[in-house]
Amino acid sequence: MGLKWYTARRVAWAGVVAFVILTVTFVLLEYAPDAQLARVQFRAAASGRSAEAAAEAYARRRGLQGPLWERYLDYLGNLVSGDWGWSDSRSQPVVTAILTALPYSLLYTVPAVLLSTVLGIGIGLYSAFNQYTKTDYAATFVAFFGVSIPNFWFGIVLLLIFAVHLGWVPVLFDSELARTRPLSLANARQLVLPVFVLATSAIASTMRYARAEALEYVRAAFVKTARAKGASDWRIITRHVLRPTLVPLSTILVGDLLGVILSASYLVEVVFGIPGLGRLSLDAIRRQDTALVLGTTLVPVFVAVVGNLLQDLAYGWLDPRIDYGDR
Amino acid sequence: MPGDDRTGPDGDDATDSTPVRPRERFEDVDWDAIDADGHRVSATQLAALAAGVLYALALAYDVLLAAGDPTVEVVVAGSTFLWDATGVDWLFVATLLVLGFAAVPLARNRRLTAYYWQRFRRHRLAVLSLVYLLVIFLLGTVGTLFIDPPTLHVAAGYQPPVFLSVDASIPTQCLGPVVDGQCRGTWRYPLGTTGSGKGLLALAIFGMRVSLQVGLIATLISVTVATAVGATAAYAGGWVDEALMRYVDVQQTFPTFFLFLFLAYLYGGSLFVLIVIFGLTGWGGIARIVRSEALQRREETYVQAAQSAGASGASVVWRHIVPNVSNSIVTAATLNVPVLILSEAALSFIGLGDVMLPSWGQTIAAGRGDLATAWWVSTVPGLFLFATILAFNFLGDALRDALDPRQEVGR
Repeated sequence: MGLKWYTARRVAWAGVVAFVILTVTFVLLEYAPDAQLARVQFRAAASGRSAEAAAEAYARRRGLQGPLWERYLDYLGNLVSGDWGWSDSRSQPVVTAILTALPYSLLYTVPAVLLSTVLGIGIGLYSAFNQYTKTDYAATFVAFFGVSIPNFWFGIVLLLIFAVHLGWVPVLFDSELARTRPLSLANARQLVLPVFVLATSAIASTMRYARAEALEYVRAAFVKTARAKGASDWRIITRHVLRPTLVPLSTILVGDLLGVILSASYLVEVVFGIPGLGRLSLDAIRRQDTALVLGTTLVPVFVAVVGNLLQDLAYGWLDPRIDYGDR
Repeated sequence: MPGDDRTGPDGDDATDSTPVRPRERFEDVDWDAIDADGHRVSATQLAALAAGVLYALALAYDVLLAAGDPTVEVVVAGSTFLWDATGVDWLFVATLLVLGFAAVPLARNRRLTAYYWQRFRRHRLAVLSLVYLLVIFLLGTVGTLFIDPPTLHVAAGYQPPVFLSVDASIPTQCLGPVVDGQCRGTWRYPLGTTGSGKGLLALAIFGMRVSLQVGLIATLISVTVATAVGATAAYAGGWVDEALMRYVDVQQTFPTFFLFLFLAYLYGGSLFVLIVIFGLTGWGGIARIVRSEALQRREETYVQAAQSAGASGASVVWRHIVPNVSNSIVTAATLNVPVLILSEAALSFIGLGDVMLPSWGQTIAAGRGDLATAWWVSTVPGLFLFATILAFNFLGDALRDALDPRQEVGR
């Protein structure tokens, strides 16, 4: 089977996964206790009206009446066509709310991903070439530190030290500044800590994977041959070790990095007060705005679905040894 | 017959003046024990059965008879000892029982234990982590039974930790000595207090219990499901394997944190629900590990021997495959615990947990507003959280090294 068939199958599989996830969320929503409905009923009962009539009116307003399968098809159709519902707490469509928040999230996640990938691979390669030295142990320790430190707490501690005590960076995030002058020095200053916190949690896995993969090649015969022929260390690292390492690494990274970045950014935004997706989601949770909670949860989920798809495709394209017939 | 071969070269040699102690060698097989194993119920199985019956009786008593009242009420030397066991407590007790019985083979097979310990000991940080985790475990399980839960005490708000001092205007009322306008911490609250006067030491200790309950119970649930799914998929193969692993693929695509978040939002609130959510949805990664290991074990000759001796599929999986992948399971489980502890802390930090629960994440969130004045409120529980997660990660890594020579170290 060829690459085309493999690609088509992977894309189809991603579609199936997305469909299953949407179905599951529909079922979950259907059987979850509806706090808003309970409130409506309580208010009606308290003011002497019929709780049942209030519940019916509520269901009509939200389009919750009709047979189950019809609602299910509506739900799927709406989500696919980009109508993600109405956010009560913000009085705007969910999609608009998400699109307004997204740039703020990208503002610090993109630098953090770039930083952690470049540094992670660099340090990982260095560790592999200097295995069991003090620097290697130090790097391993940094990796452990990165996966173990609760990033929301780390953010709080850094804020305490650098914003409250030393006053080097502002305590509160100025979203106006980020919107009007995203490339200014002042904006960079307020983004330093979020980027740093996010990068510390993301760099750990990159570093350890890079080290493990590179170790397979450090003592390989072709590296020894290159060394014997007098190739410089730099050339060996970049041409003979980094290149084969990048193939598995690029595929591992997408899935792994995505999970870390998505969940870490949620908490980082809460701590630093950045009005991005995570903050939006948290506000929606606090105000019981289910449509917005669903929307803000589905964004990272679909990013993950697409990320997994890209990972599989990258694997097929980059590694000629992969057997397309398998799965 | 195996019984006839038992008299080895130096078995009952009459010419020997002193009775020769049977040497403990690898080849010496205790056939009696093996014969007995097939026919009689072993002491361990009997103990497990007794523990299970006792547990069921106690649970029935708590649910049916002591419904609203405290489960245990003992008066010792004038002070009443009260324990109203919650649903989570019952799950926790069951988890500890299972963990205890799971450790029996280690206690019985001393030489293997010594071998593992020797390999494990090389990681000094991991040994240190183990000691730390044992302390946390004892404080969180036994300690919480004897310590009063943290209570509101508004007059004692914002006390600094002992040996530290803070401007006297910050605490509600300084309980320690005031020196040069600086309030110093007292031994009454060694780690200081929160704004509402709860002692941070007590909060931290009760937080240990919450974290342990989340980490251990949910991991046990996950491991059980993952082992069943992974081993079945590998052993059965074919469409069963395909169906199970495709399901795992879908579940793994959903980023764990958002799955927890969404479910906690829809159904959450209590710790019990949170633990069940973690346990029932977080097993995909372990199932993949179990499957890939079990696929290799399936090809071993001992599995073929068992099959040709007429063993059923279930018995081959349970007696031959699961024990032989248990090393990987232990490692994966150990590394699963910190992820869950961190997730619980994160969820309660953003306010999705039980507000009444003294969880570490809750305390960190409570101290966020007081960073400029009372920095210790968020810092103390955060340090415990960080240290615990770090310790579990060190432990898991060293266990992988000690138990799992097949697995790559770098991962």
